[in-house]
Amino acid sequence: MSTLPVVFSLSAPRTRKMDLPSNKWIVHLLVCCFVVGVNCNSVDKKIYVKLNYTVSCVRLLNATHQIGCQSSLSGNVGVLHVLESEDNLDWVLSSGPNPPYMVILESPLFTRSVMMKLKSGSSRVAGVAVVAPNTNPAGAFSPHTTCPNENSGVYSETYDPAMANCNKTVWNPLGNGLSYEEFDFPIFSLKDDNDTQVIRQCYLDHNRAVNGSRPRYPLCAMQLYSLMFAVTDTATCMRRNDINLSINPEMVCDPLGDYNVWASTRPLNNTAKGHKMWESAVVAAARLDSRSFFFDIAPGAQSGVSGFVALLAAAHALRDVVQEAPPNRTILYTFFQGETFDYIGSSRMVYDMENNQFAVDLDNIHSVLEVGQVGLRNDSKLWLHTDPVSRRNDSVNKEVEDLIANLRLAATNLSVTPEVPTASQPLPPSSFQRFLRARPIPGVVLEDHQSAFTSRFYESMYDNAEYLNVSYPPNLTPEEQLRFVTESAKALTEVATLVARALYRQAGGAETQLVNINADSQTVTQMLYGFLVRTNNSWFQQLIPSDFMSHLTNRPPNLYVGAVQQSSEPTVLVQFLMANLTGSTVNVTQENCQNQREDENDKESRHMYIYMWVQGAVPPNSTQRQGFCVRSTARLSKAVSPAFDLREFTSKDYSTWTESRWKPISGRIFLVASHELEMLTLGVGVGVLLTSLLLTYVISAKADILFSSGREPTNATY
Amino acid sequence: MNLERLPNEEKLCLCRKYYLAGFALLPFLWLVNVVWFFREAFVKPAYTEQSQIKTYVKRSGMGLLFWVAVLTTWITIFQHFRAEWGAMGDYLSFTIPLGIP
Repeated sequence: MSTLPVVFSLSAPRTRKMDLPSNKWIVHLLVCCFVVGVNCNSVDKKIYVKLNYTVSCVRLLNATHQIGCQSSLSGNVGVLHVLESEDNLDWVLSSGPNPPYMVILESPLFTRSVMMKLKSGSSRVAGVAVVAPNTNPAGAFSPHTTCPNENSGVYSETYDPAMANCNKTVWNPLGNGLSYEEFDFPIFSLKDDNDTQVIRQCYLDHNRAVNGSRPRYPLCAMQLYSLMFAVTDTATCMRRNDINLSINPEMVCDPLGDYNVWASTRPLNNTAKGHKMWESAVVAAARLDSRSFFFDIAPGAQSGVSGFVALLAAAHALRDVVQEAPPNRTILYTFFQGETFDYIGSSRMVYDMENNQFAVDLDNIHSVLEVGQVGLRNDSKLWLHTDPVSRRNDSVNKEVEDLIANLRLAATNLSVTPEVPTASQPLPPSSFQRFLRARPIPGVVLEDHQSAFTSRFYESMYDNAEYLNVSYPPNLTPEEQLRFVTESAKALTEVATLVARALYRQAGGAETQLVNINADSQTVTQMLYGFLVRTNNSWFQQLIPSDFMSHLTNRPPNLYVGAVQQSSEPTVLVQFLMANLTGSTVNVTQENCQNQREDENDKESRHMYIYMWVQGAVPPNSTQRQGFCVRSTARLSKAVSPAFDLREFTSKDYSTWTESRWKPISGRIFLVASHELEMLTLGVGVGVLLTSLLLTYVISAKADILFSSGREPTNATY
Repeated sequence: MNLERLPNEEKLCLCRKYYLAGFALLPFLWLVNVVWFFREAFVKPAYTEQSQIKTYVKRSGMGLLFWVAVLTTWITIFQHFRAEWGAMGDYLSFTIPLGIP
């Protein structure tokens, strides 16, 4: 009975019937495509919302410690919790039912006590995200330590035990030391914008506990991924850098460092290193760098920009008078990079001077004048800090008194009043301390604070243009903002004039010339705009070579010194500014200029000068920039701690800071289901697998019984 | 290779080769010897070469147990103490994990 249909289909001719079905399928497929359309949808996008702005704290290591944050290998996942107050921490640390938690902190709660409590309960804390406000907070926030660089300055147990470790004066009393703590969960910074509002809304919709009841699944969760490779300390990570047996060797950390910028009023032969006979130099020093709790955010307005902009303006003011009436001594302008991390730049320069690797020697240095934090003078006073220990020697004391007298003389008819703080007060943290460690050189550090820092935001992300009161009237175009002279620019100009005149007198210049030395407030305000608001402005664009244009951005530069391989933004900008402000335009072709010579046969100029072809301004009736050659003495010198050249990674004398490497940092938000649902899904899956295995085994064992019905020989005839 | 098809002398020869080669610090050869010739040595009905095959299998088994004990002890000690050994631990490692001591 069942064979008849089989015979029937077998006997009919096959070819004609096969065409029609395949044609039908093709037609069906085409119709479906037209109706439905080609639509591709990623499951990943339906689940996860990626964070656009990811700024996290990273791990730094030195000879003895590791500081910063770390996440686990696959990222830390936690249920979101927006912390309402410090008492609400109880939910996160003990009473919340769904640990671990990812804590969202508004900026008033980002304090030492909250963070230390979170650190102690870190088994229940998956990470922290801090919402950075759009304006500076009203209180103080300084994540740096209370005694910056206490072990790498000049005040140690051997120099003067009474002044070591800030026993006499605590320089940063508002510091909470958060930057130097170690956290084993990631800490990210979020901007207060729409994306953060999405996060808060997600918390309110899903995670909020209503009147003591448990929040029900699904819950809103966040994953933060910032795996840091290096561990323990610098010696370990440098050792692991060197051991590389595997196929692709992986570097684990990099030393911090960059370049110092230096220039001189009289050209010095840079190829002949070591002591220069009859050369006596006055060092004018400033600091270029800063840092904050988070990686790559370091506006450093008061701690860095105020100092080096004042020194740049002073150098500009001195340009003409040192050509016309050159003083006896050379003035050596130095801008040190990496000073935040145990004086990387200044320790390297002193080391080079001691080992005849620099154009001059320590014997060539007559005195030092350092420009520190000078942006927040609330009255007309400027404080001249000196070192009481070296002044116990009479000859040094006399030189320091002369320098102070020159500073007072330079301040006549200016609205700045130099004042001397208590004689027994030590020097604040400054690059001059590294020079004093080598030998007792007379010197003064200019600051706007008498003893403790006036800055409320020392080395924090709030130390920005707003804090220095660099503000512009509304409705100005960027070009107009660039040219507008702010009050803070005027105040800084006064300081720059004082520094310039004092340097000229200290270098042996005549008193009669002092009235001609004036810093230009237009230059100062343009520099402040460039370093505090945006680097991509028309003035900076004129001063740089054309291949540097891509490095100018529409935001303030980041003053963090960074790893050695990563060039820090202000260094090269300061070099170009120094070249243009202290150098001169020479009539040299572009090719000669870029080859460091004045003409084809010149072999000597490269030792004394440095030549740069800058792109210049756009003339009014054309579109092409007119470049020109600038000849100056503004050079770069390496600013990497001597500890890495000497391979003494546990050195107590030099900075040993390194920065860990990491995989790309990211974060995302998603909803998580309850643990029971996950186990249920897994259980159902395993059950389906076992059932199918069993079924397959049973069917294959009984195959002859189940599938015997269709097996008749085809040549059966009936 | 199917042992069913081999004559008994060749089975003995093979078992001996694996047993001797395992002394060149190759415990996996002893593992193979034990697993492969287990049925031949203990389950099959007796034949002339079986007693020798049985001794080779037993000795391979003992060598295997010795290696397992040594390796388990060393691996446990290394995994536990590598972080504390500092530089020595790093020099002994082929791959050093990132981000943890």
